[in-house]
Amino acid sequence: MRPPRPVCGILPPFILEKLTEADNPHVREAAHNTLAVDADFRQNRIETPSLVSPAAPTEFVLDRTLYDTHHTLALPGDLVRREGGDPSLDGTVNRAYESLGLTFTLYKEAYARHSIDDANLPLDSTVHYRRRFNNAFWDGERMVFGDGDAVVFNDFTISVDIIGHELTHGVTQYTAGLVYQDQSGALNESISDVFGSLVKQYDRHQTADQADWLIGAGLFTPQVRGQALRSMREPGTGFDDPMLGGKDPQPSHMTHYVEGDADNGGVHINSGIPNHAFYLTAVAIGGFAWERAGRIWYETLTSGRLSENCDFQEFAQATRDTAERLYGTRLELESVVKAWSDVGLSVH
Amino acid sequence: MHIRLIRSGGLLGVPRRAEADTAARPDGAALEKLAYEVLTAADGPSPSGPGVPDACHYTLTVDDQPPVEFTDPGLTDAQLRLVERVLGEGF
Repeated sequence: MRPPRPVCGILPPFILEKLTEADNPHVREAAHNTLAVDADFRQNRIETPSLVSPAAPTEFVLDRTLYDTHHTLALPGDLVRREGGDPSLDGTVNRAYESLGLTFTLYKEAYARHSIDDANLPLDSTVHYRRRFNNAFWDGERMVFGDGDAVVFNDFTISVDIIGHELTHGVTQYTAGLVYQDQSGALNESISDVFGSLVKQYDRHQTADQADWLIGAGLFTPQVRGQALRSMREPGTGFDDPMLGGKDPQPSHMTHYVEGDADNGGVHINSGIPNHAFYLTAVAIGGFAWERAGRIWYETLTSGRLSENCDFQEFAQATRDTAERLYGTRLELESVVKAWSDVGLSVH
Repeated sequence: MHIRLIRSGGLLGVPRRAEADTAARPDGAALEKLAYEVLTAADGPSPSGPGVPDACHYTLTVDDQPPVEFTDPGLTDAQLRLVERVLGEGF
């Protein structure tokens, strides 16, 4: 007897339900099976962010384009270097170009991801934005870098992890779409710090215990009393200088979570908590952090199961579930559970 | 005229505040002109939503008038010049 043909395609559920009452037992069985699959599919579709990438291509295409606004507001600016083109005479352009490539390579080699959107999105970046501008950001289409004022900040292309950080905002935009406000915003920030740091560690071929776990090391001028914007190993120890308004305010535990309206509800402040959880996980697992700890975070981010307003608790639980799915009840799972517990979040 | 400008957000996330009394500054007249220009242009609603990651957000308060908000990218020339004069570019 031939196996029953699956009932699939575009049939709506009410027709499938009708088929479950058919006289032919093969039709009934197929309809039941299809309804089950269909329900899963519909549920996943509802839960999946609208910006989830299309099916990944097989080729990896790195396509970088650098622009220069010449210290104005006029984005994107003049084209100054294309993929494969000769290096520029401008070191800032070349640093951004190289770091874009490093970030692309980490996502490709460690996670088989095809650029930001997993569909080989070209990587555009603008340098020399505004005058002596102390910032870098992701505007939804490109990375934008300031030169720094040379009093507090150096050129923002100096830190490879900052470029990885900004590109990862793009990855988050195309996957979990975490809303940039309150705890989901702090997770958005933390994920950018995590993969920004992993780009640097990958470039330096450092294991978790060898890495500095600093975000933006080298960005401060020598006049500033500070080692970096943030420390994932010891949140709150990045800087302590009146020019920066005092001490690094990042907490490393939920008991010191900072409530407030500024900075979209403290997205750059409270990110210290999930940052530290990742650091603890990576060190407990050992080896290269982009391999197992990074994979757990990456698979969680790209699972399509996180809500856009995901809070720390939901994310923590999701990483625990991912660890179990990927590695079973082994060191990886224990490390994730203990790391979240150590920052004040209980997962089961 | 009393001008108060607060910057929040940014990659660092640490807010910075600056205030200016135009009567006490040699560039007071130019500052007042800029502030009026920014206030006049801000007759629409303030930008809503969380904005783009790591961008700087600015809140301008002139005397006892309601605060005006604007955010990077997309500053007008007047907003940029006011920010540069009152806050400076660094910390």
